[in-house]
Amino acid sequence: MSSAPSRPLFGLRSFRAKFVLVVGAAVLFDLVLSGGLALWNVQRLSRDAALEVGQGLTTATQDYLRSYAEATVTEANLLIDRVHADVGVLSGVLQSQIDDPSRRDAVGRALAQAGPTSTDVVYDAQGGWAQNLRPSPSVVSVWGYLLDGSHLPRSDVQKEIEDSAVLDLVAPSLLASGAPKLQMYFIGPKERPIFRTAPYTDQAQTFDRLYPGHNTSSFWTFFFPGIYESWQDWIADPASRPTDSFLTQTAPYTDAITGKLIVSFFQPLWTRDRTGIAGVAGTDITLDQLASIVERVKIAQTGFGFLAMSNGNVVAINPRGEGVIGLVSSKGSSGQGVTGVERSLRTAMQPAIASLRLDENDGEIQHITLEEHGESVPYIIVLKRLQPTNLWTMGPIQRETMSVGIVVPEREIYASLITAQNGILLATNRILLYQIGAIILSLLLVFVAVLSVSKRITGGLSALADAAARLQAKDYSVRVKVPTRDEVGEVGLAFNRMAAEMSFHTENLARLVDERTHELENANQEISGLNEKLRSENLRLGAELDIARQIQMMVLPRPLELESVPELDIAAYMRPADEVGGDYYDVLEDDGRLKIGIGDVTGHGLQSGVLMLMVQSIARALQEAGETDPRRFLDQLNRAIYKNLERTNSDKHLSLAFLDYENSNITLSGQHEEIVIIRGDGAIERIDTIDLGLPVGLERDITPFIATREIRFESGDVILLYTDGITEAENARRIMFGIERLCESAFRHRLGNAEEIKAGIVADVMAHIDGCKIHDDITLVVVRHR
Amino acid sequence: MEIKTGDFRVWDEGSTIYFDGIMRLSGSEAYAPILDLMMNVLASGASTVTLNLTDLEFLNSSGINLLAKFTIETRRHPEVQLVVRGAQSVPWQSKSLRNLQKLHPSVTLLVD
Repeated sequence: MSSAPSRPLFGLRSFRAKFVLVVGAAVLFDLVLSGGLALWNVQRLSRDAALEVGQGLTTATQDYLRSYAEATVTEANLLIDRVHADVGVLSGVLQSQIDDPSRRDAVGRALAQAGPTSTDVVYDAQGGWAQNLRPSPSVVSVWGYLLDGSHLPRSDVQKEIEDSAVLDLVAPSLLASGAPKLQMYFIGPKERPIFRTAPYTDQAQTFDRLYPGHNTSSFWTFFFPGIYESWQDWIADPASRPTDSFLTQTAPYTDAITGKLIVSFFQPLWTRDRTGIAGVAGTDITLDQLASIVERVKIAQTGFGFLAMSNGNVVAINPRGEGVIGLVSSKGSSGQGVTGVERSLRTAMQPAIASLRLDENDGEIQHITLEEHGESVPYIIVLKRLQPTNLWTMGPIQRETMSVGIVVPEREIYASLITAQNGILLATNRILLYQIGAIILSLLLVFVAVLSVSKRITGGLSALADAAARLQAKDYSVRVKVPTRDEVGEVGLAFNRMAAEMSFHTENLARLVDERTHELENANQEISGLNEKLRSENLRLGAELDIARQIQMMVLPRPLELESVPELDIAAYMRPADEVGGDYYDVLEDDGRLKIGIGDVTGHGLQSGVLMLMVQSIARALQEAGETDPRRFLDQLNRAIYKNLERTNSDKHLSLAFLDYENSNITLSGQHEEIVIIRGDGAIERIDTIDLGLPVGLERDITPFIATREIRFESGDVILLYTDGITEAENARRIMFGIERLCESAFRHRLGNAEEIKAGIVADVMAHIDGCKIHDDITLVVVRHR
Repeated sequence: MEIKTGDFRVWDEGSTIYFDGIMRLSGSEAYAPILDLMMNVLASGASTVTLNLTDLEFLNSSGINLLAKFTIETRRHPEVQLVVRGAQSVPWQSKSLRNLQKLHPSVTLLVD
């Protein structure tokens, strides 16, 4: 007994491998599909989220920047408005004094008495001017060209000094409140431009130091050329003012008293009749105050602000911002008037800044690119204009609109956006990693599970395959253990049963063979016995057939008899079928009366033969008895046959017709096949015999049905008598020979003698049958008139 | 009931007996089962018994004898009308069926 071939546990062609492959592929497909979909969705989600967040943050950031710029401008406007208000209060007080001279005089006198230091000026020989002494709330400087020969102020100037003392009442409290102001002052008209300033400082001395030559020049022309003329024009035509206000602001310049960069705000005062200028109320604020608003700007890490004049001169910016936008500062070099600061955007080293238009895109986000350390850095800039003012720089007063600029590097302002987008990207990548990890883990888990399950599922099949191989090697003792209760388990059980049966059969084969051999022997004996019986039966049947055939042939007319018939040439042919039938023909001659009979008994075998023998005997007897009437002849023959058949309890009958020939005339009687006559000229006649009788042996009395028919039969005419064995002879295609073919055949052979015609027709019939089974007796009688 | 061989088929539907094919049985013993079938139909009490021979291409002389015997038998049952249907185009029928009417004049012969 050979051992079963060893099987690899996990061959590539094994069922298990295929199983694992199919399940694995299905799971992989599923995971990759679902994972891919999830990833795709996450990607899309993150993209959408980044876009949404980006848009939201961009909008928010830009709104913030715009709001910031607006707030800064509002703050600057507010500061300026407060300064305007303070100047307005001072100018209001002074103007009301001008408009009420009696009160002005009273107040002036009262103040002069109460504080002589406020109105008494002392000549300074070194400077050539006069100035009041401390302590006084305000300092009043009287320039040399306002003094008379004794170095005392002219009387109108002195009057102005006293009138202006009212400033001492108002200015200190205004300085103490409201917007931080450097100083508040009154300057007289160009006829007597005294300069009273609160608080008290060494005013004239400072002027001397900073503006040499001022003491000999007209104040307004020296310090603010053009400003006075503008005001005078305004009186004549208020519509010529650049703004709705009379208040005039100067460009930043270096303060004579404090030395700081300042901005002055002037409110001109009018004479009572409003035709001339009665002086000016003013205040100074340091540029720092304005600058601090923009310099305080801090957006993101390095965002900054600046304040620029409409001509591009930047009046406020922190140093770092100055560096970023590349401003180049230069001290004002004009020889006239107050000196300021020259630091224009127009001359900035950054082209984007130099080409910046201040009169456009108010409050709009603008994107510019600045060069930093050789690389282009995107920046956002928002410009916002302040309220318009009347500005004096040099010459006539002009309308001025300063702008606040906010500058922020884009990367800083969008830092949160970039952070958010990075966060989303990070989250997406994390999800991607988790998803891939999940897919790999799932695959591993499924693979392990499938591997273990497949071992269980395919284990049974492997065991079956092994067992089948052993069975093939004729090891019938093999049994499989399939623990599962599924179809494989059922196959295992069936296999075991089969193996047991094979084992049983193999072991019992010899005994079985003996048994079967014995049975076969018995059967063989039985068959032999039966065979013996059959043989004897066949012999009996054969003997019967032989007898029947002998009877049939025995009673037929002998050739010699036929030849002896005068006038007629007769030839006859009979071929019994394989089983003998019951065809009948006879030629009876008696004293010149010739009677030819033809008939066909139903059925086959001995009975049919005997019936035919009876018919022949009776016909012969009737002929011998001299019965010449064909109807009576047939009637008597029928009666005899009928009774004999009744006695023998036979249910046979026969068709039977007779031809009585006498003197070229034939009398036809009885029912049989059609009679065929071929005339001497070749014409063919077919004569139906159906109405000439009834089958013999069926009825006791057939007289009512018997009829006769007279037929001329002359020299050269041929009559054919036959049984249905001829017309119903079949070939292989079951086509019958038929009456038509019979007529054609007879016609072809009509010129020969009876024997030749008979032989020709029989040859044609046999050629038609062509070796097929002959079902019925074949009988043909050819009668030719000599 | 139905009798069937490779060559022919005989069966009854109600009181009509159909014959189909080629019948060449060797004798009256061989035709006995068919006669039984026909007798059963005759005995069933139907007022009309029809033999439909339209599709019976060939019937040998023993078969014709069977029809004759059956016809003679129906003469004993005057209450039963025998109808025989045949076809002129079939040679044996054109020749033999009229004999049935001779044996039993009340037989209705319907030859197409």
